[in-house]
Amino acid sequence: MRKQRFVFWSLAPAFAILAILAAVSIAGALYFSVMDRSLRYADYSFVGLYNYQRLLGDRRFLNALRISAIWELVTVCGALIVSILLATFIFERVKSAATRNLICLAFIAPVLLPRVAAAFIWRFLYSPSLGLINYLLGLAGIGPVEFLADPSLALLAVAAVDIWQWGLFFTVIVLKLLETLPKDPIEAALLDKAKTWEVHAYVTLPMLRAPIISLALVKAVESLRSFDLIFVMTGGGPGTATETLDLYAYQAGINLGGRISYASAMSILLLLITTIAFTIVWRGIRKWAN
Amino acid sequence: MKIPSTLLASACFVLTAQAAIAADNACVGKVPSINVIAQGMPSVTELDKYVAEFNKKWGTTVKINLLGENERRAKARLDASTGAGAYQVIYVDEANVAEYASAGWLYPLADVLPAEYDLKDFRVDLSNVATYDGTQYYAPLVGGGDILMYRKDVLEKHGLKPPTSLDDLVAGIKAVNDPSAKLYGWSARGQRGSGMNVWRWTPFFRGLGGEWLADGKPAFNSAAGVKATELYVDLMKYAPPGVGTFNWSDSVEAFRGGQVAYLIESDVFGPWMEDPEKSTVRGKVGYAPPPEPLGSAGWAHGFAVSKVGAKDDCTKLVAGDFVGWATSKEMEAHRLADGIASDIGRQSTLKSDAFHKAVPSEYIDALLATGPRTQLLIMASPVWPEIGDNLGLSLEEIFTGSKTDVQATLDEAAFAAEDSLQHAKK
Repeated sequence: MRKQRFVFWSLAPAFAILAILAAVSIAGALYFSVMDRSLRYADYSFVGLYNYQRLLGDRRFLNALRISAIWELVTVCGALIVSILLATFIFERVKSAATRNLICLAFIAPVLLPRVAAAFIWRFLYSPSLGLINYLLGLAGIGPVEFLADPSLALLAVAAVDIWQWGLFFTVIVLKLLETLPKDPIEAALLDKAKTWEVHAYVTLPMLRAPIISLALVKAVESLRSFDLIFVMTGGGPGTATETLDLYAYQAGINLGGRISYASAMSILLLLITTIAFTIVWRGIRKWAN
Repeated sequence: MKIPSTLLASACFVLTAQAAIAADNACVGKVPSINVIAQGMPSVTELDKYVAEFNKKWGTTVKINLLGENERRAKARLDASTGAGAYQVIYVDEANVAEYASAGWLYPLADVLPAEYDLKDFRVDLSNVATYDGTQYYAPLVGGGDILMYRKDVLEKHGLKPPTSLDDLVAGIKAVNDPSAKLYGWSARGQRGSGMNVWRWTPFFRGLGGEWLADGKPAFNSAAGVKATELYVDLMKYAPPGVGTFNWSDSVEAFRGGQVAYLIESDVFGPWMEDPEKSTVRGKVGYAPPPEPLGSAGWAHGFAVSKVGAKDDCTKLVAGDFVGWATSKEMEAHRLADGIASDIGRQSTLKSDAFHKAVPSEYIDALLATGPRTQLLIMASPVWPEIGDNLGLSLEEIFTGSKTDVQATLDEAAFAAEDSLQHAKK
């Protein structure tokens, strides 16, 4: 009982500060979402649910919702698939501890790079006329490919940069997790003449289910905050092909639009949607994990 | 005894001047810092070299915060509209002077610029752009109109003369285009934004007879708007890959890198083509006014004093003096001496020997010929940034092939603009 009280009082101040910060910003957004506040005019008035009604008929908002969902799916799945494949490959093929450590060091570097810097580097790499990628494609007789100007490619091209940063970082984590697994189940599977992929598909990865789920959730939350990467690489374009909800909210509320109430309504809807989606996903994962 | 009136006037003048100096001196050391929000133009970054002398004069510290164009506009608006007033000096341009001035966020320039900085010496074309409702609000640092830049060697090879009409230009672009040799006929801005693709599309739209408003309603979805857009899209077929999302920098660098034969851009980029370190086409570029009937899009960037950030007399005085100092003849002379010939805001500098030595005479001739055609081509409205942004998005969708029905896409942008204009009337 004493221990519980100690834990409660130790955590209470931090939780209280977090709760106040969250409550104030959510209350502010809620308040502005039912007003017609624009940064251009000092006066504003109550408009009820007008901003929410308008959002439901706004094709740009609905498109942003769709793009955000695709972005989440592609970046979370992409980072996990890349990390699991690369980690198992290194685990199987690279036996020297020193080499593994060197690879890990190299794989951690992209995520340490500021997002804006990474975005600029890749924007240049993707350039159709001056970029390295198109130069190499040109040697193979392909291209030039307009990675960031082609509406069907742009989102995937930006997602590839996100996966490059996080997928490699997760590779290091999964590799270290694989190294910590007990050897007995693996050796037993090998004695039963299981193939390498079978060992990982049926033995090692199921043993890592819980940490991989945690990685997926961390990445899902992180992917919601990819504003800087997308903003620098495409600004939401071409057209609205890479315009996620946070980017649209920024464009409408802070950037050229200045319609702070409309952007607040968008943020509240984003909060609601992500809370509901994450709750459903979390429950589904828990059921699957059990 | 009767005192002569001239003596009395002189005495009054001396006393007034002394009082002003005393007031100035009283402010030395009273303003710990002056925060400036700005954009990284050469004329602004150059200030770093000399700002220590200004700091010493007033016992203050000038902090210049550099941001990209859209971010700078957004942050300045946020700062003024919320009453935060973190910035005493605001960087203003043609797209937001109407908005900031009508909202009462700026002091008129004549109220804050010390007389020694000679308000009348600023270029008339730039001062006109910096004026809203008959009052000039900012001191121009840089600006101008449009200019046609072309590769003399390429035109000579194809037996072409510099185009004087739009038809000549279109024919020339198609004739010289040779992607296999990495030479494209044309380049232009495709990336969305009122200061990006809309800016470069507007001379086509206005040149083909388009008007922004008809009976107070948006009219850029007119036949002229559709024709201008279709022509712009057609010319993009003769441009480097990726042009659909090019910003001005991509476009200018493509020309400077030797990939483009014709380019209509803001005239400040002329001297960029003659940069011995960065340009591969130095000495090969010809300059001419944009072919008729294309207009020349007038623009001007500069510094204004914020009413929200500079409320007390001393802050207003020091901020006003900073604006004058940063845009002074002396500062322009420093810039020219340091090889920056692109950012000229004063008439006296344009006439100076140093400027004539820095740029080709052909460029100056083109500047002078374009001057009378230069005017503000965008909509002079406080809600222009919002309307321009929406229109830019629609244009980018067309340029990148996301939308193919030009009329329907412009109709959609005009519908959104109607809402913005209605909002402005509230």
